[in-house]
Amino acid sequence: MRKSDSLTGNFDWILFAVYCILTLMGVATVYSTAFNEEHPHLLDFSQKYGKQVIWVLFSLFLGLLVFLIDSDIYKKFSIPIYAFTLVLLVVVLFMPAVNGAHAWLGIGSMGIQPAEFAKIGTAILLARFLSSINLKQQNIQTVLIANGIIIIPMILILLQPDAGTFVVFTSFLFVMYREGVTYDPLLLKLVNAIPGVKFRETWVGSHFIPILFVLIFLSVATLLISNQTIELSFLPGVQIAGIYGMFFFLFLFILLGYFFMRAIFPKRQRRRALIISVIALVLATILTGTVNVAFQKLASHQKDRIELVLGLKEDPDGDDYNRNRAMAAVGSGGFSGKGYRKASVSSVESNHVPESETDFIFCPFAEEWGFLGSIVLVGLYLFMLLRIVIIAERQRSTFNRVYAYAVAMILFYHFAINIGMNIEFAPVIGIPLPFFSYGGSSMMSFSIMMFILLKLDSQRKDVLG
Amino acid sequence: MKFDSRKYVIITFFVLIGIIYVFKLFYMQVVDDSWKLRAQQIAEKRRQITPPRAVVFDRFGKKIISNRTYYNLMMVEKNIIDLDTLAFAKLIGWTVEEVRERFIEIVEGEGKYTNPHTGKTTSNYQKIRPYPFIKELTAEEMASIAPHLPKYPGFYEQVASMRNYPYSCGANILGYLSEANREEIGKDRFYRPGSVIGRAGIERFYEKQFRGEKGVKYIVTSALNNEVGSYENGVYDTLAVQAESIHLGLDVILQQYGEKLMQNKKGTIVALEPNTGEVLAMVSSPSYDPNLLIGNRKIRQNYPKLLNNINKPLFPRPLASEYPPGSIFKLAQALIGMQEGVITKNSGFPCTKSLVGCHGHPSAQNVSQAVKMSCNPYFYYVTRKIIHQGKKKNAFHDAEIGLDRWARYMQSFGFGQRLKTDITGLRPGRIPNSKYYDKWYGHHRWQFSTIYSISIGQGEVTLTPLQMANLAAIMANRGWYYTPHFVKSIGDSGPLEEYTNKHYTMVDSKHFGPVVEGMRAVVEDPGGTAKLAKTEGIQICGKTGTAQNPHGKDHSIFISFAPMNEPKIAVAVFVENAGFGGTWAAPIASLMIEKYLKGEISDQLKEQRILEANLLED
Repeated sequence: MRKSDSLTGNFDWILFAVYCILTLMGVATVYSTAFNEEHPHLLDFSQKYGKQVIWVLFSLFLGLLVFLIDSDIYKKFSIPIYAFTLVLLVVVLFMPAVNGAHAWLGIGSMGIQPAEFAKIGTAILLARFLSSINLKQQNIQTVLIANGIIIIPMILILLQPDAGTFVVFTSFLFVMYREGVTYDPLLLKLVNAIPGVKFRETWVGSHFIPILFVLIFLSVATLLISNQTIELSFLPGVQIAGIYGMFFFLFLFILLGYFFMRAIFPKRQRRRALIISVIALVLATILTGTVNVAFQKLASHQKDRIELVLGLKEDPDGDDYNRNRAMAAVGSGGFSGKGYRKASVSSVESNHVPESETDFIFCPFAEEWGFLGSIVLVGLYLFMLLRIVIIAERQRSTFNRVYAYAVAMILFYHFAINIGMNIEFAPVIGIPLPFFSYGGSSMMSFSIMMFILLKLDSQRKDVLG
Repeated sequence: MKFDSRKYVIITFFVLIGIIYVFKLFYMQVVDDSWKLRAQQIAEKRRQITPPRAVVFDRFGKKIISNRTYYNLMMVEKNIIDLDTLAFAKLIGWTVEEVRERFIEIVEGEGKYTNPHTGKTTSNYQKIRPYPFIKELTAEEMASIAPHLPKYPGFYEQVASMRNYPYSCGANILGYLSEANREEIGKDRFYRPGSVIGRAGIERFYEKQFRGEKGVKYIVTSALNNEVGSYENGVYDTLAVQAESIHLGLDVILQQYGEKLMQNKKGTIVALEPNTGEVLAMVSSPSYDPNLLIGNRKIRQNYPKLLNNINKPLFPRPLASEYPPGSIFKLAQALIGMQEGVITKNSGFPCTKSLVGCHGHPSAQNVSQAVKMSCNPYFYYVTRKIIHQGKKKNAFHDAEIGLDRWARYMQSFGFGQRLKTDITGLRPGRIPNSKYYDKWYGHHRWQFSTIYSISIGQGEVTLTPLQMANLAAIMANRGWYYTPHFVKSIGDSGPLEEYTNKHYTMVDSKHFGPVVEGMRAVVEDPGGTAKLAKTEGIQICGKTGTAQNPHGKDHSIFISFAPMNEPKIAVAVFVENAGFGGTWAAPIASLMIEKYLKGEISDQLKEQRILEANLLED
């Protein structure tokens, strides 16, 4: 094996640049949000922005360390690293609770959250496992072990409890999907138990994860829309149940999908595009209809609970306080925002949006920069995710590719849920916006995760398949 | 690789979420305005500025309600940082314990709200809301506190204005202000905790005309929530607009004089200007100095005392006391009798004391004499003729028709109904009709002989002093009245529309002559019942009344107007438990008339006698 001569031989400057831009935007937003008139200096370390600067600098230093260490050690020491993060997750359970969760290791404000680092450990071990030379994707053992790797830390995190990070761990399911790990063996056992049925494989089993998530997405969307009524401007006075709007959008969406598939499929498969579209439409309509009817039939207290989780309940000063304030902050930003440091709803001192410098940092940003700022931010994250997918796909080593996908999926989850919380698309579970939110643990863990990826990528040519 | 195409699934997920989010953000931030409103609501960066309430002038431009500036020490709990309670208590001159109690009082005073859906109970108190910590500090008191306030974040001073009554009179007319309660705050967004609202009198009736328009100032606050400037250079700010000043028909000097005359007496004086219906004076005695109920501190101190006072100074007698009118009611009986044609102005009836009691006097030969001598049997006959007109053979049926006709006449005088006067607390009085007596005696079980005491203003008939004064005004106008009212003009509006409708009684004005002539004779001629009302140089027309009071001494009543031609003032006086109408009520009325028309009193002895009289029961 040939080692590259320089530390940054094949360094992906583009990804690094996006990382830097997001980090700087984050620091600027933390400064604006947590601004304290008596300590106006950015580098005043008694303030959150001063501390955030320290975290960023320390993260860059950790990144440098990562680059000095040979990338082989991650694969070699994947089990000890994973074990170590598990130990930390166990130890943290015996720490005093902060805000009702045993999540912090350390003293006072200088603590770390082991759950943040557990993601890296899990990603590395999963990459190691899925890159095993004689991995059989179709084996029942494979799927069980792969799931086991992620389930153990998930259970420990749930004990803290930290629902946000728990949910983020399901992102690894997509990584497994990408690598061909299939739920077919499990499904086949069920299906073939029916007498007279003998399947060798099922489409549902191998695409189990994306199907599952589409189902969840459609169900949630149905619930969200089922209580609403639509009034069309050209049909005044006529109220249409929200579910029909849902059907309409499903139809439109699948129609678009059909034309898209027609465009990319080879000629002889065009019939397949039609079949897929029709089946998808029928299944999706049945699903949303069933969910809608089932939801209406639920007992009222069950309905209440579901509605509250989904943010359907109007309770602006009660359980849905955060989201309501957050949405007001985001929505009031308008097209071009109120201007830097002019957020009126979401600044820390006005305190209308709790956690506005950490979990709800998208609020002050969107309030200050408006829709223009919001699309820039969403665009930057999207660009970063797609860039990581490109990087992942160019790796020769499966280990590197799995790891890269893990990073992409974790970032995607954080991005989607964190911003989704502010716009009624995700339940309010406290997870930080990567590189953006104030906080040492998340800043460091995301940076390390990113630098490991950059390091692996820069040495991609040193590795054989 | 076998699974390479699966990357598209993942890319699709990424891109799809990105697109959906951008659409939703576009909708929330650009299309939908509701979140912007919500943000305004949340940020509480509006400061509302309440203007001082309208000032009030009397008919001659004397300012009778003005505003004085006071200061409230406001508190926003969220902004309080490490309060040094000991030093703070010392600053405001309280004990630490008092400061703590005040905090608790504020929180508990807000009450609790139970969500009907979830059943959860939350306090209405909000940490982000300003509440007055100490109210109504004077400028001097505030001057010693204000310089030290910057040391206590969360506390600030707020200018407030309070009422001031330079003439210390007319409490029952003017009313008073007190803090809006939770229900009122809930109903009308104008009110916030600590806002004042009119509680009685015209302050309550004209609340919307008094309060003005609130100003809103949008402010940008710094990280410490201090005001650093106006938002967008104040383009969205609105100025607080004080309501236009209110001009009353009241003559405050006459009001003061009336209150003075009524000292140590229980009763009322109501003076109207007949040709406009404006109230010149309305005395309710005993009354109280309106300055006793300025601001929360004084209200808390004085209100319970006033409320528990045995003489009920808070009770607006002229509006709400329903008294038997006694003999003054005979004026209306005579008029109705003539209009119905059951008597003429020259009808005479013998003074048959066996029917109803009467005092010694010769029999009346005509209406004027009957009024002058206030002959009870005369009006017994008149009323019997009105009620029993022989339209039905059966006396019971006949009485039913007659009484209802009679009641309609009486209602046209404004009796038995709430006048639409611009004040709250009005009572209707009572004019009984057939339904009323049916309830008591049963259908067709009564006739005139059952109910004859109404003929002399006793029994079931009651009037409020305001209605009595209105009767005097009707007599002065010979047949019509404007609804009595207080407000002459709001700003330059001129007379309010609802008080420019003439109400005609069902009696033609030609019938008034003989009755008015009788009223003149009451005061001026020998044998009249109100010789004490005679006043040098003013031709006063009047009618005495003496209402029998089963609980004590008779009530002394007198209604009058003057001068006889082109009357300028109509006065009704009611003195409880004072005896004969001519003895007390008549001279009081004449003094009021003289004071108003001449500005001074010629007969000092008469005035002296009234001022010195103490007619309160002990």
